[in-house]
Amino acid sequence: MAMRVKNRTLKRLGAFAIWLALVLVAHSQAYASDVGNCLLCHKYPGLSRIDENGKYRLLYVSEETFNRSIHAKVQCEGCHTDIKKIPHDPAKKVDCLTQCHIIEPTSEQKFSHKGVEEFLEHSVHGRYDKNGNLKKFAEDLPTCKDCHDNPMFRPLSFFKRVRPGISDAALGRCRVCHSKDEFIYRFYNHVTTRLHTTRNPKNIAEVCARCHDNSELIARHGLSFKAVATYTETFHGKSAEYLSERVPDCLNCHVKKGQSPHQMLSYKDPQSSTYKDNKLAVCLTEECHPSAGAKLADYNPHPNFDRKQNPRQFYFTAFFILLTGGTLLPLMLVMFLDLLRTMFPHASLLRKK
Amino acid sequence: MEKQFTIKIKNGRKYFYRFSLNQRFQHIFLFSTVITLVLTGMPLKFYDTRWAKPLYAIFGGINYTPVVHKVAGVLLLMLFVYHIGYLIYNFTVDEVKPLKAAGRLNLPSLLQAIMRQPMMPQWRDAKEILQLMKYLFFLTPERVAGDKYTWKEKFDYWAPFWGIVIIGSSGLIRWQKELFSHLFSGELINYAVIAHGDEALLAALFLFIWHFYNVHLSTMVFPMGTVFLTGYLSEEMMIHEHYGQYVEVMKQAGLEREIQPLPGSGDQHRARGPETAAPVGY
Repeated sequence: MAMRVKNRTLKRLGAFAIWLALVLVAHSQAYASDVGNCLLCHKYPGLSRIDENGKYRLLYVSEETFNRSIHAKVQCEGCHTDIKKIPHDPAKKVDCLTQCHIIEPTSEQKFSHKGVEEFLEHSVHGRYDKNGNLKKFAEDLPTCKDCHDNPMFRPLSFFKRVRPGISDAALGRCRVCHSKDEFIYRFYNHVTTRLHTTRNPKNIAEVCARCHDNSELIARHGLSFKAVATYTETFHGKSAEYLSERVPDCLNCHVKKGQSPHQMLSYKDPQSSTYKDNKLAVCLTEECHPSAGAKLADYNPHPNFDRKQNPRQFYFTAFFILLTGGTLLPLMLVMFLDLLRTMFPHASLLRKK
Repeated sequence: MEKQFTIKIKNGRKYFYRFSLNQRFQHIFLFSTVITLVLTGMPLKFYDTRWAKPLYAIFGGINYTPVVHKVAGVLLLMLFVYHIGYLIYNFTVDEVKPLKAAGRLNLPSLLQAIMRQPMMPQWRDAKEILQLMKYLFFLTPERVAGDKYTWKEKFDYWAPFWGIVIIGSSGLIRWQKELFSHLFSGELINYAVIAHGDEALLAALFLFIWHFYNVHLSTMVFPMGTVFLTGYLSEEMMIHEHYGQYVEVMKQAGLEREIQPLPGSGDQHRARGPETAAPVGY
């Protein structure tokens, strides 16, 4: 224990020494996107410290990566509102619902994600129940950053063929009116990134899996099974594993088409897309199985091989396991004995009469 | 059926005719499609293994590998339909027509004819298995005197036969789910997914362990038995696997004197059988 404390102190001292060295050595370079000159320190890949809980915190900001992200135009102070001076005190966690310094062009108001909060509060992930009481284990329920990081732009090149990346042919059209390349790239990214999902189905499933494949949380909230593990047992999930973008991810079925993905409802809610009477419409979506019959709704997209929940599928699987073992094990025994026999082809325990 | 010599002698060695060109083509077609299906299907079943993704990428990843899989599946089903037609045709020519000519075409005689078909399991097979067990557990030095088609070959025939029925039908359900959802409950697709993958795993393991042992890895045939290409089986293998038929064919060909003894059947400790005939050198 003493050794660990010593280590931690050493690390703190080391981090401070590095920080000091950086401040002394670095020239104050002004970055175009960095008005507050935060990158003066944060541009150094080694910048890190051990926080009060003993957790290692990397404080490095890659300017190149950040500039390709969706928030690249937002100044640091726009989200880190508590930082007023440099060097600053330990910063608070970012609240995504802050009004930031970007002016939303359609309303000319300061932009905020506040509207999302309302969707989230009315969804199955909201902290309060219908009567306005705090739900049990509300602290487990997700807030913005449990699902979202600062995503990268994923531009779509829809000239001739839909494929990811910036289309030079399209940029040529932008240049007819707009001259600044920086603006053209940003605007192209801004629009085309939103024409498809920012994350592929695998990434989305991984986000949901953080809670929905966590056995402890599943038990605490009375859920029946691991949502993503069971999804991965289907062709949908397996294709997602192979980075297919044509298969449905969690959101395609659990969010009503055209609505905010924050508005996810419980399957027990008649408004929900996964409510028993609404399920079929999800399957019959134009992009999915429009020609299917009404019985497709009986398909279980989360096959859970549990003896209690799904006895028929459980015994069906068990039959094949037994068939496989029952066929192969005796045959492998024959093979083994056959090999053994070739070493002693004429040996016999019983004498031939 | 094409005309073939039952015994061919080449460089002083006897070779015994077993499979017609038609049958050999069917087998090559069968294993080509099955290997393709296994290579393009198993990575999906075992998506979380290290080999799965590179293997899947070879066939074109998630956008193209399923197409390859479906094409191979359709070809295999076409072979299956052809094979059924082939069986019916042969049965008609070899059994139904002679019965008709003799005026004895009725249900019992037809059933008897079906039971006579070379791949039908018979009592003899159970006896062969029992004898093999005695041999393998060192209870007798006498090998099994196998007939034209041994229990192993019948097993190797019926296992893929059942496999194609199960995997083919479940594969069609998974592929044409929209069509089947008009007829059956969507739960059928769940069962089809289980049956398709699990039966395919059984089939693949069966073929690549058991069948490969018998035709590639066993010390008698290593590195590869050639009967599937040439249609002819060597005398050593005939004695080893099909002694019953060997004796019969040799007698038919008037070669009684040259019939070798069945290993383990008596005095071959002195008169060296073909198994021990390999030269020993330093």
